Order: sequence, then structure tokens, then C-alpha cells
Amino acid sequence: MNKSKGYALYLGCATPVKALKYEISARNLAKRLGVELVDVPEFGCCGFPVKSMDPFAALLMAARNLALAEERGMDMIGLCTGCVAVLSETKESLKNGRLRDKVNEKLRLLGVKEYSGRVTVKHFARFLFEDYGLDAVRERVVAPLGSLNFGVHYGCHYTKPGHAHGHFDDPSCPTTLDELIRSTGAKTIEYPNKNLCCGLTVMGVAEDLSFRLASEKLECLSNRGADAMVVACPSCCIAYENNQKPVGRSIGRTFNLPILYFTQVLGLATGLSEDDMGFEFNRIAFPRPL
Amino acid sequence: MDSELIDREKLKCCHHCGKCSSGCEPNRLDPSFQPHQILHLIGVGALDELLTGDAIWKCTTCFTCSERCPQGIAVTDILWRLRALAFRSGRTSELLAAQKDVLLKTGRLYAASPLDNKKREKAGLPPLPEGSSLVARIFKVSDEDE
Repeated sequence: MNKSKGYALYLGCATPVKALKYEISARNLAKRLGVELVDVPEFGCCGFPVKSMDPFAALLMAARNLALAEERGMDMIGLCTGCVAVLSETKESLKNGRLRDKVNEKLRLLGVKEYSGRVTVKHFARFLFEDYGLDAVRERVVAPLGSLNFGVHYGCHYTKPGHAHGHFDDPSCPTTLDELIRSTGAKTIEYPNKNLCCGLTVMGVAEDLSFRLASEKLECLSNRGADAMVVACPSCCIAYENNQKPVGRSIGRTFNLPILYFTQVLGLATGLSEDDMGFEFNRIAFPRPL
Repeated sequence: MDSELIDREKLKCCHHCGKCSSGCEPNRLDPSFQPHQILHLIGVGALDELLTGDAIWKCTTCFTCSERCPQGIAVTDILWRLRALAFRSGRTSELLAAQKDVLLKTGRLYAASPLDNKKREKAGLPPLPEGSSLVARIFKVSDEDE
């Protein structure tokens, strides 16, 4: 795809409604780094919530988005790990010519040009790690974060399913997001339940299970004195930040762990203003480094 | 009824080694939830028991089981497909039914209200559509026979 056209920004539905600080900081960070993100108003649902209803409809939703980006000659950058995983899985599935033909027939009925398979889909963090490069990030750092200690939470769909993401990171022991955060000079904590799921997907049906999953990680990072947990997905942020009080109550504990998006951490290091990082939307105040 | 959604041939590869369940976080916290047992129940044709029970809704879809399976069975996807079977036969959770309503009306799981768009405008972000028939159209196209 033609990189001079910029990258099609796949916002998803949770980020622009539930995570303004993520969207604001991602857009401003991209500007700061010279990465052009282009809005595509025609994008629709990624298909993730429909997998439990109609798997073929979910496939069509994802394929439609891939086709729209391809039509514009742009690769895709996503912010939600769930969206990126579904789009990547669909891209993999559509390598099967027979399935692709069937999907393209349906896309025609939806008024979308056929999908040939050329578009790439990456999470913004993966893009920064693989394409932009850590050295280029380091060159943009104006305020090294050496005094800060972060606990990185990847989110299951950032690396899994591994085949869909081209195994760019090790699903059982991921490191790319830690490396990206450390490129700011900050330290990242190694902790035992790093791979634990945030549990948000079962909150509506099994709240106790969801809260226990969230509480284990909040406890672990609080006990280890993390300055903040760093996330890369709006759902994980809802589980750890929006739900932090009730999760704490469920185990008789009060947490006060700031939750930052990786884009806010990189924004801090590259000199974005608090407004440009959406800090006003942080529910748990994050102390500015001196 | 389930042939197109569940690949039974692939399921025959399952050794019942339990590696999926032993790496499963919901299983650690709720031992009644056992992915390998779910695969077994599909194998012996006890779909009804699965579709009416709670178990299929406790999966967080974290994909750990799929990554661990030595036979390459996409366990998480099977859980999703069981949910879709339950959904198709009307045995769905209230939550999912509510989610479908929102998706059909707005085209998104997290609908945007006029208030959301005001907040976005204030933050200098582009507006979001508050209603869309796209998901409804895709469901319709998905259902049509070739």
C-alpha cells in the first residue's frame, strides 16, 4: 500500500465514546511523530461483538473494512486490540480463495469493491515498534521518563491469536510494548500475572469472575509500587480504571493506580501538552514527573 | 444444524489432554468451567446441555487455550460458535440480545449519544454517527442464500 497517502485510522466503537483520552493522545502523538492518520467515515463495526451471534456476518463486517481501506490504497492502524485482532484474523481467513470469493460476492451487495488481500492491519503500538521504529521514537524524546516505573498490560488480543498477528510478539511472553515504553527512558516492571486477561468481556454475564481477574492485576501492580499501569486497549482500560473502585470494594481494598494509555506515556516523553494527551479524562490522577 | 459452525473432524484430533483447561484463567477461578470438557460434550453430541448451560458464557475469549492446544484446535473460536448456535436457537443471554438491538439501531456496540458528540466537539474530535443501518444490512446479506 502507498505510505504517502497516510494510514487509515480504524477507531472502533469503544475508543471514540469511552476513551477520549486514548483517541486524543493517539491523534496528537501521531502528529508529533509525523505519522499521518486518515479518518475513513465509511468504516463500520469490526465484527467482534457479532462473533457470538453470526460468525459469517462478523467476517463480512471485518472484510468490508479491509476492502474500504484497500480501495483507498491505505494500510490500517487500529487502537483497540479487539478490532485489530478481528481484522487481522479476517485477513488471514480471506487468504482462502473460495471464502474470499464468497465474501466478495456479499460485499458487492453492500456496494463495496472486492477485497484482494493487499491491506495490512496493525495496532498503533505494533506500528510504532515495527514500522516507525524505537530509534526514531528515541530521537523524538525531549523529556526522558527515567524516574517512572510502569506496569505494562498488553491485552489478550494485542498478540493473540498469534497466527493472525504474524507472531510479531510472543503471546506467552510479550515484550514489544515494554520495549516501546522503555524507549522513553521509563522502566517497566516484570510481574507474575502480566498475561492475565482484564476480564471485561465477561463483565455482563459473570461480574464476580470479571472483577476477580481485574483485582489480581491491580493488586499485583499496586503492591509493586508501579507509578501507573499502561494499557493499549479501551476495554482493558474500562476494566482497570472505570471499574477500579467496585473491583477494589469486591476484595475489601481501595486501589489508587493510575491507568495510562501507551500513547499518553509516549506523549509525556515527546513533549505533548496535558490537553493534547487528554489528561483531563484520566479518572485516577497521574502525578506529572518533575 | 451445527455442521457448518463446528468442525467435528478437527475436534476428533482432541487428545483430551486438558492443556486448554489448565491454562484457562476462568477455569482457575471457577473450576466448573472446563474447555476440554466442553470439547468432549460436543464430541458425544451433548450440544443441548452446552447451549442451555452457563459455561459457554464464561469464556473471556483471551485465546490462551487456542495458543496452548498441541493439536492446533481453535478452542476459543469453538466457544464463540457455541454462543452463536445458542443465539440462533433463541437461547441467548439478555446481554447479547440487548447488544444486538444497539448494533441494529446504531451500527456500533458503544452507541454515540448527542452528549457524546458534544464532548467530542469540545475536544476537537470529528462527530460520530448516532444511527446506522449498516449492521442490519450486513445481517440481512449474511442470511441470504447464494
